[in-house]
Amino acid sequence: MNGASGNLARVLPVFSAAFAAIYIASVQYNWALFTYQAQSGQWGWLVQPREGTPMYWYGWLATSALGAGAIALLSLALPARLVERAGAVLVWLVPVAMMGVIGYVLRGYFLR
Amino acid sequence: MISFLLILHSLSAVALLGALTHQAISVWWPARQRTGSFVSSLRSVPSFTYTNAVIALFVLTAILGSIVYPEYRLSVRVALQDYRMHVPEGAFELKEHFISIGLGLLPAYWYYWRHAGAKDRARARAIVTTLLAAIVWYGFLTGHVLNNIRGFGS
Repeated sequence: MNGASGNLARVLPVFSAAFAAIYIASVQYNWALFTYQAQSGQWGWLVQPREGTPMYWYGWLATSALGAGAIALLSLALPARLVERAGAVLVWLVPVAMMGVIGYVLRGYFLR
Repeated sequence: MISFLLILHSLSAVALLGALTHQAISVWWPARQRTGSFVSSLRSVPSFTYTNAVIALFVLTAILGSIVYPEYRLSVRVALQDYRMHVPEGAFELKEHFISIGLGLLPAYWYYWRHAGAKDRARARAIVTTLLAAIVWYGFLTGHVLNNIRGFGS
């Protein structure tokens, strides 16, 4: 892995860490890029009003992928060594922390 | 059709679970020498050969899951709410989010396994692999329990 592809690949851990954080923020604040209405089978941009059973999960994934892609590209401007070192920790620390956060957010299901 | 896709989803999840479990065991507990025992064989698999298969299976399983997901929202989740089965419902909500985080981890997983011999990436590689394995185990068990509660054709 040399040259341009190597440079691009080194930001993949940054992408993964950012994806986890943006995904959980998307869930919490409903930043869905699009909505799927499960009953009617209709798709709509951004958060659509409730018409039966709206599903935002696909939209949250899209928002997270776009946001994490942008952050990963921005991190190309940082020194490679810094990105490599920070990425090696953030790549697992952020997802584990986000899993804890969503577990806390959903605790109501388990405490009723 | 939904039942067929659900079975495919389960089968690909089983294959993914096996591959990731093998890889996670061999990365933390590698065998120096293969003795022929079951445990030794389990520990001595060439871990890096699983990487592309794990990524393909994870994506395939997630795609199949995303196709059957609306059916869950329309029929299964409503029944869980009617019966006030909050724990299974919450467990599935967690599964949805954990699997999403796992999907986002795949690029880093690929990156850390691309040079499997690199010592400076060994810890991140091991932890990311274990995290993915834990996510898949959780997703598999939760899906299994949910299917037992309200599965095929119910």
